[in-house]
Parts: sequence; C-alpha cells; structure tokens
Amino acid sequence: MDFAYSEEQRMLTDSLRRVMAEGWTFDKRRARAAIGELDQAAWASLAELGVAGLMVPEAYGGFGESTATMLAVHMELGRGIVSEPVIPSAVMAVTILSAIENESVKAKWLSAHAEGEAILTVAWQEEGERFAMAASSTQAVARGDGFELTGVKRHVWHGKGSTAMIVTALLDGQAALFLVASDAPGVSMVDFPTFDLARCANVTFEKVALDGAALLARGEAATAILDRGLDFAITALCAHACGAMQYLIEVTTNYLKTRKQFGQPLINFQVVQHRVADMLIQQEMAVSNAFVAAVSLVDDPAPLRAKRVSMAKTEVALAARFVGEQAVHLHGGMGVTLELEVGDYFKRLSYMGVLLGDNNYHLNRAQTLMAA
Amino acid sequence: MDLTWTEQEAAFREEVRAFTEKNLPADIRDKQMHHQRLGKDDYIRWHRILADHGWGAPTWPKEYGGTGWNAVERLIFEIETFKAGAPRLLSFGLSMIGPVLMKFGNQKQKDYYLPRIIRVEDWWCQGYSEPGSGSDLASLKTRAERQGDKYIINGQKTWTTLGHHADWMFCLVRTDPSVKAQRGISMVLIDLRQPGVTVRPIKTLDGGAEVNEVWLENVEAPLENLVGEENDGWTYAKYLLGHERTGIAGIGHCHRELAILKRMASEAMAGKTSLSFDARMMDSINQIEAQVLALEMLLLRVAADSTAGPGPKASILKIRGSELQQELARLQMQVAGPEAWAYDPDWMRAESEFHGPGGEFDVGSAATYFDMRKTTIYGGTNEIQKGIIAKQLIGV
Repeated sequence: MDFAYSEEQRMLTDSLRRVMAEGWTFDKRRARAAIGELDQAAWASLAELGVAGLMVPEAYGGFGESTATMLAVHMELGRGIVSEPVIPSAVMAVTILSAIENESVKAKWLSAHAEGEAILTVAWQEEGERFAMAASSTQAVARGDGFELTGVKRHVWHGKGSTAMIVTALLDGQAALFLVASDAPGVSMVDFPTFDLARCANVTFEKVALDGAALLARGEAATAILDRGLDFAITALCAHACGAMQYLIEVTTNYLKTRKQFGQPLINFQVVQHRVADMLIQQEMAVSNAFVAAVSLVDDPAPLRAKRVSMAKTEVALAARFVGEQAVHLHGGMGVTLELEVGDYFKRLSYMGVLLGDNNYHLNRAQTLMAA
Repeated sequence: MDLTWTEQEAAFREEVRAFTEKNLPADIRDKQMHHQRLGKDDYIRWHRILADHGWGAPTWPKEYGGTGWNAVERLIFEIETFKAGAPRLLSFGLSMIGPVLMKFGNQKQKDYYLPRIIRVEDWWCQGYSEPGSGSDLASLKTRAERQGDKYIINGQKTWTTLGHHADWMFCLVRTDPSVKAQRGISMVLIDLRQPGVTVRPIKTLDGGAEVNEVWLENVEAPLENLVGEENDGWTYAKYLLGHERTGIAGIGHCHRELAILKRMASEAMAGKTSLSFDARMMDSINQIEAQVLALEMLLLRVAADSTAGPGPKASILKIRGSELQQELARLQMQVAGPEAWAYDPDWMRAESEFHGPGGEFDVGSAATYFDMRKTTIYGGTNEIQKGIIAKQLIGV
C-alpha cells in the first residue's frame, strides 16, 4: 500500500480542487439548482476533466482508473458537494455496463459516456419497497425479438437529466436489467428538486417497447452485476461525504476563529475545541472506512465485499450526520439560516443516510451476508 | 409520594381532550400534523377559542385572567392539545413578558397589557439577541437614550421569532454604557408600528422564514414603557429566560411528534409488512418513547419542586427536551426513508395541494429535521445550559 498520490492522481485532484473552488461555489451551486434542470455545461466541464470517463475501461475510450483514484476524485467532488449525476452515471451505471456481456452495447454506451455525450442513471426503487434492490412490481415480457416493460420506479437520481436508464425488472419471474432510453415512447417522469440541491424523478414505464439488445443481464448475473454497481456507488458516495466533511470542518473552524462571544473567539472555549476534535476524529475514521470499502471492491468475493461496503457506509453515514449537525450547531443561529454554505453541506451529509440505502437497510444486508 | 393520577386529573384530561376535539379547527390541525407552516390567523384563532372558554392563559394565576392551573393540569393541557394537533401557544406574551410584568411591572402596565395578551390583541416578540450578542447576551449594544419624556432607541435585534407578525417588542436596551455589561441594561416595551422599525425575514434551513432581523432607527418609547427600574433589565431578562426554559422542554411537541412517528411507521411499507414490524426501527422508536415519558416525569418533578422559580433544573429540561425534539424529527425522516429526499416548498407553505413525490408526512419530515437543529441553539445554547448546571447544581 502507498497512500501518497501518484503524479497523475495529484494533477487530477489539484485541478479538481481548483475547479470546485471556482465553479462549485456557494452562489454557483445555488444558481445551478435554481435552473430547475441538470446544467449540461456543468456536466460537460466535469466530463472534460475526465470524471465521466474515469471508470470506463480503456478499451472503450475511458481511463480505466483504479478504485483508489475513484476515491481521490470523489473526495474532491465532495468538497464542492457537486449535485451533478457523477455517482449514478459515472460510477454506478458505468460499473454495471462494464460487467455485461453484450459488446456492441458496451461499445456504444461506455464510449459515449467517456466522451461526456451520455448521462446514465439506475432505476430500481419501487413504492413500498424502500431501498430494496430487487424489482418486485416492474415487469418485462418478451415481445417478438424484444421486450415490453411496464412499471413505476421512484426517486431515480437525475432521471430527468439522463440519456438512458438501467432499469431493474422481473422477466419470467427472474431478475433482469434493461437499458431504456429516457425519451423512449411510454416513458414518463415526474421530476422534482431534492433538499440537497439535486433532482430526482419518479418514472413510469407504460408498455415501453425494447429491442433484444436492451436486456443487459438476467437471473443471478443481473443481481450480481447490480449489487457490484451499488457497492461501487456507495464507496464513491462515502468518499464524497468525506470530502464534504473535510471542507465543512475547515469552514466551521474558520468561523469559530472569527466569531467572538464573551470577549474572545469561540474557538478559545475548551468545549468548542473538543467538539471540533470529535468532528475531526469522525472525519478521519470515515476516510478510513471509505478506504476499507475501496479495498474490498477489488479484493473480496461478492458477499464479503457487500458486507464490508454496507458496514463502511453505516459508519460513514453516522460520521456525516455527526459532523453536519455539529457544524450547524457550532455556527449558532447563523447555522440554521440559508445564508451560509454550512446548511448546504449539512443537508448533503444528511442524505448520506438516505441515498443508496439507509443504515437499517445496510445493517440488514450485512446480517444476511454473515453466513457467507 | 403518590404516583397515581387522581380522579380529578383523569377527568381533566378527558375534558381537555373532548374540548380540543370539538373546538380545534380542522384546517389548523391538518397543517400542524403535516408539518406545514401556520399563518398568523391560525395562531390567533386558536388563542381566542381558548380565551372564550376561559383557557386563554393556562399558565397564569386567576387574578390576571389565567386558569390558575397547577403544574400537573398545565402539563395535561399542553400534552393533550398538542397531541390533538393544536398550535403552540404564543410564548412571547404568555410565558415571557406576561410573567415579567406580573412580577416587575407597575399596576398600569399590568392592567393594560395582560388582558390583551390573553386574546392576542397585541402580538409580542422578543428583542433579546443581536448579531454580535447571542450566547453572550449581556454584550448587547442597542442603545436607549432619554430625550424628554421618551427613550430614543437605536440598534439591531435578530432571531426575532414571528417578529413579522408582531405589534410590540419587549426589548433589552443599553441605558448606561459606562458600567459593567450586565449593569446598564433596561427592558423597554416598544410599539413596532412606527417609523424607523424595519423587519426582514431570515430564511432558514427548512425553507421557511419564522425568524427575523429587526432594525430600530430612532424609534421612540415613552418613559412609562420602562419595565421595573432603569438599568435593572438584566434581572428581568434572566427571570424571563428561566420561564422560557421550562416551556422550551417542548413536552407537548415531543408527545405529538412521537404519535406522528408511530403513525408514520405503521403506514410505511417495507415490502410485505409495515415498519412497525421492523425490529431495528422499533428499537429506536421504543427508546425515544421511554425518553419522552421520562422527560414528562422530569418536568413534573421540577415543577413540583420549584417554589421559588424554575431554577437550574430548567436547564436539564431544556437540554433533554431540545435533544429529543431533534431526535424525533430525525427518526421521522428515517421512517420516511427515500421519500424524505424530495422538496416541495409550496406545499410546506400550505399554498398548494400536495403534489410531491412521497407521502404528505414524508415531505415535511426532512424540513422539520433541518429546522429542529435550532433547538439546541436557541433559548441559550446547550453549552450555556451545561455551564448553568455546573455552576448552580454542582457548585463550581
């Protein structure tokens, strides 16, 4: 193991930090969210930096980077709490597509993604099923050479901004993954903003006609590929949260050094110093948890990987909540206003516990894998 | 010691329940139960419904038009009305300036202001915090200078809850800048409906704007609007905060949110069963239920004990009450799960039919979680409260 960034990693993270500091500022993030749709220019500038192609294998025009680089990149993106669909598209969907067998589908979509020309997302959550990965009501049936897809997916991360979606469905009672163009006839969306300045959509598929190549995987392979995609996405999300925590602690510390009460800066009070120390401890442990998950993505068989990643996520989510809540508290009344960026970071960190499964979901997932 | 509810107490509980069920307007109840924001009229309507029944001032003695209830009756009233979805009673008049005037105000002030508080003919707000004076309240800078028969007041107040509805402000001002911080402060009653008063809402994390900044520029108050003695305001301010902290435990709020939490869990499906059958979720819900019941008991014990004002144990109530309010909101958000992600600001303001992506409870849950972060900050941060506990209970 070597924790020092390579020359390439250093250059990449340096430029990302610069871009975040310039292009993902408080005002610019808010302005982008106010547009009411995905800002294509923002996505293009991330793609230009190599974010879109980072995890795409070299054979398809990407960089085929390691999970270590993925971590480093997402920590920087977390510092700027990017709301663009990097995790659902450039991590989760790309990981899934990289694992399927159909070469022509891979060549088409992975290359387009690496070029920044396609935005993908994954649609799996259904009503009343909370975070369950397996489809229960969305059905696909064979029609001629292709399929017909019907069902409703909820909270599809950047569904509206996507070019195509990877959709989970039941096909002859088996799990299956389909690739569906987001503008295909029969696809409709209710798009809405989220509290953390992103967007998601409830997507209805009404007898959507798909050709044979739309079937990406079925049966055990589909479940395994989806699970692996989830674990990569979670690991990236953990790194994102770590970057956000790191930045938020910096902002909070600066505030505490300037805000005076009782004739001195707040940071002079021991109770405040200890609180910040606790935040730093949590953040450092969170980074280490993200590293543990990243190691497991490569080294471990699927059941152990899933357990490691799920438990890392619960730990990081707890740290994220602690750091977010304390940052607000330490800002006092100003912390609960919309006037400082502490609130935006707090909200993103709060959703660390909601996105890609909450802690109870992951504790259950780890429990069922104990035997494995 | 006798730990049974008396027959009278049980009957009183039934009476409050029946009254609230019959008289609380359904539109107000629905907003409250769904974490939508209440308007000025909603609060006033409920206050006047209570006042018409003689219950307009549940915490006041009879001589001032109050109910004369004891601590147990007050607690029963708060819990039962809150659980039924009634709005909180406006604390600014009833729990803050009212008790201060009863103890330190002159007869003329009592006669004029107190009856008007009961029917909210005056909407009061609190002029305490300033941009540079939060936890360190005594450092406040707003000046009041005598000019003939009036004070001329200049300065800025902040975190003024519901100040945008207010007619009057009880305001801490500096009347003698030459002495130690706590010594030169006075409490003055300011009519806000005059030139020189500017109120600007502060938007908060939940997207609402319940708190305000208030600028006072050459604002006038006749000398008779001074409460008690000049430069003795710090004494009154502390007396008032002691009252604020018992109410701040939010026991009624906790009971209502606990009931909502349980209902949400029973309605939230997780596959074939509801979350009420999810052991992990229910562990958390049962735990917080125990904590709410213990808080209620603590409140009763403290109330029974405070012959001479609420005392430092009020700080324990404030700390635990604020923490439980936060945790209840967090658990509601956890029950809402994926649905808690979406944001529907129009519905939160009750300005549109619900058109959000999740259930109605779910959308409000995240906003409430964000909003409840204020509870460990306001009314004296929990760090300040722990300082009070250490100083007064431990004797350091």
